[in-house]
Amino acid sequence: MVDADDVVAPMIAEDWDRLTFRVNRDAYRSEAVFAREREQIWLRTWLYLGHETEIANPNDFKVRTIAGRPLIFCRDTAGEVHAFLNSCPHRGTVLCREAEGSAKLFQCFYHAWTFRNNGDVASIPDADAYGSSDEFRDLMSLRAVPRLETHEGYVFVSFNPDVPSLREHLGDAADYMTMIEQQHAGGMTTLPGVQLYGVRGNWKLAVENAMDGYHFSPTHNTFVGYLRESGFAVTDDDQYAYNLGNGHGLLVLTGHGGRISMIWEPRFGDEERVRTEVHRTEMVDRLGERRAHYVADESHILFVFPNLLLFDIEGLSIRQLEPIAPGQTDVRAWQLAPRDEEPAARALRMKTVVSFVGPGGLATPDDIEAYEAVQRGIQATAGAVRTELDYSDMSRGMIDEVKRVPGRSIDEGAMRGFWRHWLDAVDLGDRLRVTGDRPAEFLEGRDVR
Amino acid sequence: MTALGSHSAVVVGGRTVARTEVEDFLYAEADVLDAWDYDAWLALFEAGARYEIPTTDHQAGWSPHASGSFVDDDWDLIKARVKRLKSRKAHAENPPSRTHRLVSNVRLFENDADSLRVSAAFVVHRARDGQFDAYVGHYQHVLAVSDDGLRFRLRRSVLGHESLGPGARLSFIL
Repeated sequence: MVDADDVVAPMIAEDWDRLTFRVNRDAYRSEAVFAREREQIWLRTWLYLGHETEIANPNDFKVRTIAGRPLIFCRDTAGEVHAFLNSCPHRGTVLCREAEGSAKLFQCFYHAWTFRNNGDVASIPDADAYGSSDEFRDLMSLRAVPRLETHEGYVFVSFNPDVPSLREHLGDAADYMTMIEQQHAGGMTTLPGVQLYGVRGNWKLAVENAMDGYHFSPTHNTFVGYLRESGFAVTDDDQYAYNLGNGHGLLVLTGHGGRISMIWEPRFGDEERVRTEVHRTEMVDRLGERRAHYVADESHILFVFPNLLLFDIEGLSIRQLEPIAPGQTDVRAWQLAPRDEEPAARALRMKTVVSFVGPGGLATPDDIEAYEAVQRGIQATAGAVRTELDYSDMSRGMIDEVKRVPGRSIDEGAMRGFWRHWLDAVDLGDRLRVTGDRPAEFLEGRDVR
Repeated sequence: MTALGSHSAVVVGGRTVARTEVEDFLYAEADVLDAWDYDAWLALFEAGARYEIPTTDHQAGWSPHASGSFVDDDWDLIKARVKRLKSRKAHAENPPSRTHRLVSNVRLFENDADSLRVSAAFVVHRARDGQFDAYVGHYQHVLAVSDDGLRFRLRRSVLGHESLGPGARLSFIL
């Protein structure tokens, strides 16, 4: 209930007497909130840009828009990775109009200014028309994004020069990224074939959906049916969700499907059963029994605040969220695979991953339907006279926070962790309303080493 | 498949297949899909067939077996997809998208002793949830030829888009 004397309705209302946690639906709809997120989150924290293996060779480049800003993500001739604003320092023209390729030089078509792939000016035609041409030239190098750091091949950027280190930001999420890299002795690589699609829903609905094991059975009823028919016993029992701090979250799933090369299930076929046994033995030799167990035997859905989702499930997908408007988000998804994978295993991996994830899969379209149906449905309470109706409920499993035990994957604790961090990140802490005694926040990481 | 010349008929295993026969097959497929008659659609495939939609960044030479895709269905997955689409629990298609398909620029190419390749342009209009999307691209099918007609061996839809626009998912058959 909102008190009559509240001037502004709370953005998040936690009631520890009634065990309810409610999020104001303006968070998904409001242009003002969206603008505030752009300024307070997207221009201040670390953002996932891309994977080093997308630009594997010197001179490789990709163009990509992050936080609404067109960027060039490239490897220079000496092999160093850069992120430049894709905008000519002269008049602001988009410098590189190709989506990807290999180039030592980027030339602006407008006035033929040319730049090396390390950002230096290569030539400005008729430079002697500028008074102090050397100084001028130095001022006109490509604008690098202020910060760029890498963890396990995942390249992050920040538009904020004073942001703390990437490792500090990643915190407990970092090791789950390392665990993906440890799955195969030769490491992992992104593959060609990127799923690029738009959804008519707020970006935070995509985050909630990924941190929400509660929706799996009803939303993916047809996919669960397919797995059961192929001989896999799907279960939600004894699986947990973890708030990793800094807005990052983790679902640990052990009953939703097999894992290519690590947990066999009948639909993978007999050849894969043999490959799995061999690989699983190699993993124990390389990583030790305990670490190999955590790397191999659990599926992880990891959210790295604010724009990266890693689906370490049947196979591996990297999903990047790019908010376009309050009700619109671009999604980009790369498949990640072992570098040294035999063709039959790779073909099985691709078929299996794509059968679930992406806008043409047998499951993701129902998730997209869910975000889009929420985005349309929450218009029903917008600007309502009874403002207390204009909230979405994420109370499930709050009792576990009182007991200080990890919440189940089919509860809503990972979402609550996200929303609490979000409220601080957008600097709306004054719009948190807590009723009753809130238990001290605790991190729910585990020792998985 | 850009060669000049006539692509109005090919000889497959001694039988001449004319463009009109292939056009009739593709028009019939468009009809059953627009009518959500998925059993009739499945009957247009031979057992063991495949259904593929590459991603929009697709480049010639990429294999769905080695790279990401939108759809990479083997025969088991085609059957699973049809079963799903017939279910009321395929939420993304319940209620189903209304589609309206145009097929054009049909050309035939030789392939092997019992099949031919066909390329054709498509425009699929889709209406759902107050939205109206257009999907434009071309087919690169392989059709098995027998005395009793044509069947899909490979059904491949290649999008002409740079990306899928907002709301433009592939929950229906493209």
